[in-house]
Amino acid sequence: MKAPLQSRQQIPRQRILERIRAATLDCAQDPAMREEAYAALPRAYTRHGQLSAEARLKLMIERLREYDAEVVETTPEALPDAIAAQLAASDKHSFLAPPGTPSEWMVTAAWKISGLEWTIDHGLATAEIEQSEGVVTAASCGIADSGTIVLHHSASEGRRVLSLLPDWHLIILRASQVVETLPEYFARFQQPSGLVTWISGPSATADIEMTRIKGVHGPRFLNVILVRDKS
Amino acid sequence: MRELGHPVILCNRQIVLLSNNIRVRVYALRQSVAVMRASLFITCYNDTLYPETGRAVVRLLERLGVEVDFHAQQTCCGQMHANTGFRGEAFSQAKRFVRLYQEAETVVIPSSSCVAMMRDQYPGLFEELGNEELRRQFAALLPRVYELSEFLIDRLGVEDVGAYFPHRVVYHASCHGVRALHLGERPYRLLAKVRGLALATLENVDRCCGFGGTFSVKNAEVSSAMLAVKLQDVIATGAEYCTALDNSCLMHLGGAMHRQYAGMKTIHLAEILASTEDAPAEATL
Amino acid sequence: MNYSHAELDPRKALPFPKAVLPVLRNPQLRKNVAHAIDVIQTKRARLVAEKDDWQELRTAASAIRAHALENLGAYLEQFEERCTAAGGTVHWAADADEARRIILDLLRQEKASEVIKIKTMTSAEIQLNPFLEANGVSAFETDLAEIILQLGGEEPSHIVVPALHVNRSQVREIFARRMGLKNLSDDPKELTNAARTYLRQKFLAIPTAISGANFLIAETGSVAVVESEGNGRMCLTLPRTMITLAGIEKVLPRFQDLEVMLQLLARSATGERMNPYTSLWTGVTAGDGPQSFHVVLLDNERSSILAKAKQRQTLKCIRCAACMNACPVYRQTGGHAYGSVYPGPIGAILTPQLMQMKFAQSLPYASSLCGACYEVCPVKINIPDVLLELRAQVVNQERGRAARYFDPMYVGLRVANLLFAKAWLFHVAQRLGRIGLGLYTRKDGWIHSLPGIGAKWTQTRDLRGLPDESFHEWWAKRGSQPGKEGK
Ligand code: SF4
Repeated sequence: MKAPLQSRQQIPRQRILERIRAATLDCAQDPAMREEAYAALPRAYTRHGQLSAEARLKLMIERLREYDAEVVETTPEALPDAIAAQLAASDKHSFLAPPGTPSEWMVTAAWKISGLEWTIDHGLATAEIEQSEGVVTAASCGIADSGTIVLHHSASEGRRVLSLLPDWHLIILRASQVVETLPEYFARFQQPSGLVTWISGPSATADIEMTRIKGVHGPRFLNVILVRDKS
Repeated sequence: MRELGHPVILCNRQIVLLSNNIRVRVYALRQSVAVMRASLFITCYNDTLYPETGRAVVRLLERLGVEVDFHAQQTCCGQMHANTGFRGEAFSQAKRFVRLYQEAETVVIPSSSCVAMMRDQYPGLFEELGNEELRRQFAALLPRVYELSEFLIDRLGVEDVGAYFPHRVVYHASCHGVRALHLGERPYRLLAKVRGLALATLENVDRCCGFGGTFSVKNAEVSSAMLAVKLQDVIATGAEYCTALDNSCLMHLGGAMHRQYAGMKTIHLAEILASTEDAPAEATL
Repeated sequence: MNYSHAELDPRKALPFPKAVLPVLRNPQLRKNVAHAIDVIQTKRARLVAEKDDWQELRTAASAIRAHALENLGAYLEQFEERCTAAGGTVHWAADADEARRIILDLLRQEKASEVIKIKTMTSAEIQLNPFLEANGVSAFETDLAEIILQLGGEEPSHIVVPALHVNRSQVREIFARRMGLKNLSDDPKELTNAARTYLRQKFLAIPTAISGANFLIAETGSVAVVESEGNGRMCLTLPRTMITLAGIEKVLPRFQDLEVMLQLLARSATGERMNPYTSLWTGVTAGDGPQSFHVVLLDNERSSILAKAKQRQTLKCIRCAACMNACPVYRQTGGHAYGSVYPGPIGAILTPQLMQMKFAQSLPYASSLCGACYEVCPVKINIPDVLLELRAQVVNQERGRAARYFDPMYVGLRVANLLFAKAWLFHVAQRLGRIGLGLYTRKDGWIHSLPGIGAKWTQTRDLRGLPDESFHEWWAKRGSQPGKEGK
């Protein structure tokens, strides 16, 4: 009879770790030395951006547009209307919302657009998500340098599958969430959430003759509303 | 000599003056200034296959007031062996080089790949197979080892060497020159000051010609395919001469040009820089 | 129809100089490869140029990777602990065989007869797909390029764009035949859509997935996967069970280290500022994604590479493929000639080491040592240096073999070494060479054809005949007085 998987595992584990230890004897370090060595690693690259707040937002928008994302700007007060306008322009009718979505967003849109259907994700089955045409989520951060939007999949950002299956994704990004460089993102979120998705433009491939084709599996349409809140 | 031009080159011992009719005259100032001496390491293949390059280096350096000497015992830097995996053999040649040249004031080498061999590989060889003394001797010698364009620009501080070469030329930036020695603008600065010379722009200038030493034989077919691609870019410049700081690349490119009746010749940069109205480069004769 | 006949098992592959021959004579393939490479290279060059701190990023990345390797044991244990605490299970596989068996066991526990896969070179390294097929599990690749290869019966020829040797009309033919789509055009957009439709059902129906990992984060026990298409996100999100196969070298000390790696990776790999999707997950998350998660840590000779100080840097690799895109050899040959799932410069150093230098000994010589790979490598692996180290090992193997005396290159270099030891011997040899080569030198002073190993040169190149007077002879005649140039 085979030993249970768990205990069979112990043997290769030890063997591999021993081989690794033996291989790195020349540079063996105790935990304190390791910390020290890590702290001393050269990091002369740019951490902080040089742009003004305004230029940073401009760059963010520019980058997003390079990725063929739709970007509109609005104020916090006008946000529900702006969302409704985006939904209306999408020509789609069934939308998903994560459980943390402010009800005001949904109500305004439902009021303004006839036939609009909201489904709030309280553990929807994949098939139900698959039926929806679009999704509206918040985000955790925007990185202007690369036009990246970061989702930490909180209650207002939704589970990962939510922003994956629908063909159309609207992201609400606040100006105060936009940083210039990737290191600035990491400075802001030192204790990362267990799930992170960095999105830089819609799903794409260049596998056939290096021709860039938008939308292979993820949403083909990425829309962003940039909310000019006070930073 | 008629009217004097402005002195353009100032070396330790001599001032080179350009006259209005752009003839070059050399005046030795017999002063107390120390004479710059350069020991020419010609390299094994230049000695055997391209002596005209060595002659040009001598002529050029002497014209610039450098006293050139040549160590008759020299043979090879060991590159061919090291690059093929014959470390022990390469080591014995490297050791030989250090022994022969450790007293030299400066060593000038008209071959970028051989200089790269010394800078990139000697320290490792000496560490692995040599002893502490040898390692130290080499470390002391290394700063005095120059590739030709480095010697002219960094050591002598000259760009205009008073050369005349009335031809359309394309410069092949050899891999070792670009990526190992980081010669950068040096060769272009030298070429820019050659009177009569028109420099053509080469597409994909940093792409390898496919020589690679024994690679050209061990992987002859791939090497030839790389050569074909490189040659297209070189020929497309419409230049008469293709120059470089490494005769090994030129042997490769020139061999194909000759085979294909390509109507272009190769010439080492030293020969262009040595060339004057009175004494044109041998390759043009 | 199969567009190339590649053997990517280094134990069976032809030596590189032989394997390249059909490729070099295949205009379509060379055109496909050169086109793809040129597109990526142009994009990469533009994006690297705009980054003022590119060299500083490389320095940091190189140091981080080196540090991670020097402390690999500790960081792996930390990764294991944190990943386990977050609900994942970590398995250790000493070699390909163990890894395959662990994965099969896991699939059997799940009663899986089908599995969806995110592109992973490591799974190709351990030849996972054929093993699973043989054991009754169908593995479906989900990356567009991998689908093209899988359906076309092709082998990968690049580690980032594995199907770059196949052009659009070939893709059309493969899809039309295998998906039964007779009226498909060769428009990449239409082809991509066909793949999307083909895969959508698989994503929704198959509850088990296999992925690779770009990075393992020791600090958090997280795994990061970098991709473009979203097939990765599908595989990471929809299934019940997720199995990640990762080489032990993939570990990074901390989450924050991604700020360096992610800036370098996409720019180096595809010439983008950032790839469309990067996903990071940690063990299992209730209500989101697979509820059963396994990591298989694969050694497969990596610890032996780690043990050799000069070769250790090979393991810093983040598989961006910049080295093969920059390589003038790869540009002519494409990937298949390397006889390994890892082609190009990184393959030339990694493959023979993974084979304990028992196979693939021709690969360290598959380079002109031009240094372009080192120049672009985001983690500063000095590939030419490692190539030289491996060449020395190949020669040392040869030194012990009687057959060495029938290898003209070996004999030639040994003799040359004797000649170079004494100047007078060298000079005698020059004179003999002049006489010998004189027999082959034509009236125009050039040699058009040589026998033996020399024929390798003269098959495409002439050689100028030896001059009558070597430099040192000229010098001896002239004396060393300045101004006398012997003319
Ligand atoms: S060796 Fe360097 S350039 Fe090549 S794939 Fe690895 S990280 Fe990229």
